[in-house]
Amino acid sequence: MSKDKRSKSKNSTKSAKPAPSRGVAIKITDLHKSFRLPTERAAGLKQAIFNRLKGIKGYTEHQVLRGVTFEVKKGEFLGIVGRNGSGKSTLLKLLAGIYHPEQGSIEIDGTLVPFIELGVGFNPELTGRENVYLNGALLGFSNKEMDAMYDEIVHFAELESFMDAKLKNYSSGMQVRLAFSIAIRARGDILILDEVLAVGDAEFQQKCNDYFASLHGNQTVILVTHSMDNVRQFCDRAILIEEGRIAAEGRPEDVAKAYEGLWK
Amino acid sequence: MGIPNIFCRKNRILLGELVKTDFKLRYQGSVLGYFWAVLRPLLMFAILYVVFAKLLNFGSDIPHYPVYLLTGTVLWNFFTECTGQGINAIVSRGDLMRKISFPKWIVVVSATSTALINLAINVCVIIIFALINGVAPSFSWLLIFPLILELYSLSLGISFLLGAINVKYRDVTSIWDVLVQALFYAVPIIYPLSMVMNSGGSFGDIAAKIIMLNPIAQVIQDARFCLITDTTITNWQVNSGLLAFVPILIVILVLSLAALFFRSRSKHFAEEV
Repeated sequence: MSKDKRSKSKNSTKSAKPAPSRGVAIKITDLHKSFRLPTERAAGLKQAIFNRLKGIKGYTEHQVLRGVTFEVKKGEFLGIVGRNGSGKSTLLKLLAGIYHPEQGSIEIDGTLVPFIELGVGFNPELTGRENVYLNGALLGFSNKEMDAMYDEIVHFAELESFMDAKLKNYSSGMQVRLAFSIAIRARGDILILDEVLAVGDAEFQQKCNDYFASLHGNQTVILVTHSMDNVRQFCDRAILIEEGRIAAEGRPEDVAKAYEGLWK
Repeated sequence: MGIPNIFCRKNRILLGELVKTDFKLRYQGSVLGYFWAVLRPLLMFAILYVVFAKLLNFGSDIPHYPVYLLTGTVLWNFFTECTGQGINAIVSRGDLMRKISFPKWIVVVSATSTALINLAINVCVIIIFALINGVAPSFSWLLIFPLILELYSLSLGISFLLGAINVKYRDVTSIWDVLVQALFYAVPIIYPLSMVMNSGGSFGDIAAKIIMLNPIAQVIQDARFCLITDTTITNWQVNSGLLAFVPILIVILVLSLAALFFRSRSKHFAEEV
């Protein structure tokens, strides 16, 4: 299995870190991340020079993650919950390697297939088939690997007779079904899903739910969701993130209660 | 991150897929389709030919002047198309940057490769025109490949450098548009270099030397020299000694510095784009 390590540590003293013990798929240690939010629109050379001259920084520092530490075991279905803006998506993007951590480390054992959004790179002018291969290439799959998955994807999406039609002629339901089918058929050791459960009509949703239930124990999944039903139904363990820190961790039932308690 | 895995299988597959997509989408919805790739430079050539060769009577001393002119416009078009696409590559694929992690240079290379494919088609057109025009085929025609490589390296360097800056400061594209307009007249495309040299005594000679230090001018003149006529005045005749290597040095310097700069900036693209 390939091993991927991304880390950036401010204090050089903790250089030697123990490798994740067997059975751990992801190990996250003391993760910090902040963003610079532009205040006066600094998108432009003129504004940038103006700000520099006036001594305006042009941004405010916004701390999104303030030290998050947790582990995901192999085959575990982990739910991550929290209100809007709590830092869930940032955490996923750090995991997916889209953002780089400021402090702390992320160790990943295995291949990671992230779905921050469904149908990344989908182009309306391409056919369904072309879009599947493009999406696959973006996720890091070769044509051969996609060939092996292709029939399954199309079958799951129930779009056999539409694959040579352009995506722009699909209904929106058909588009999400295709994107979703790629997401769940993509073979990786770790699957990351951001708020993308249960799309399409009632029947297709049922199919998705059955599929997730079947993943149980066989596939490492990290799921970000606002649906406590999903957390209770699918997850082995859950984490509640609040203001960039882990506020609760443990049994899905307890975490779901803690989440619902945020508004009380 | 390291150099060895830069062309690993995964990156090659993604690059191939993006190139295919870009090329397919380029002329989507137009009746003439890929034919535009040939038609555009031919139309520009027709305009320049009528204005400069027929009305202003430029290049009467150069054999096969129409093909000579065509070679210049095709290579120039390649340069502008390549940099235009390359500089915008990161910004126009911003949605991808925010959703998925992959080596960012792939986007720039894929965006510029469409221009490369168009150039390949156009070079074939040049060859056909040259043969019709009575230019004798020669082994020196093969030198077009390293020359294209040089021009592509320069375009890629500019794309990396300005494309990375463009993520934060969108003014770059506008500045570049103006710069390209000015650059067009600094390169001997529509006027023959001999015209510069024959005007204004020693000033003309110095101007020609400076003009030929520009890698674009060097490539275009060299391409004309080896494709069409050896009466073309090239950098190697105008500048001597170490000075003659300045254009190539510029290309190497621009590409390597731009690549380093791009690499150091690329991890912030997802947050800034």
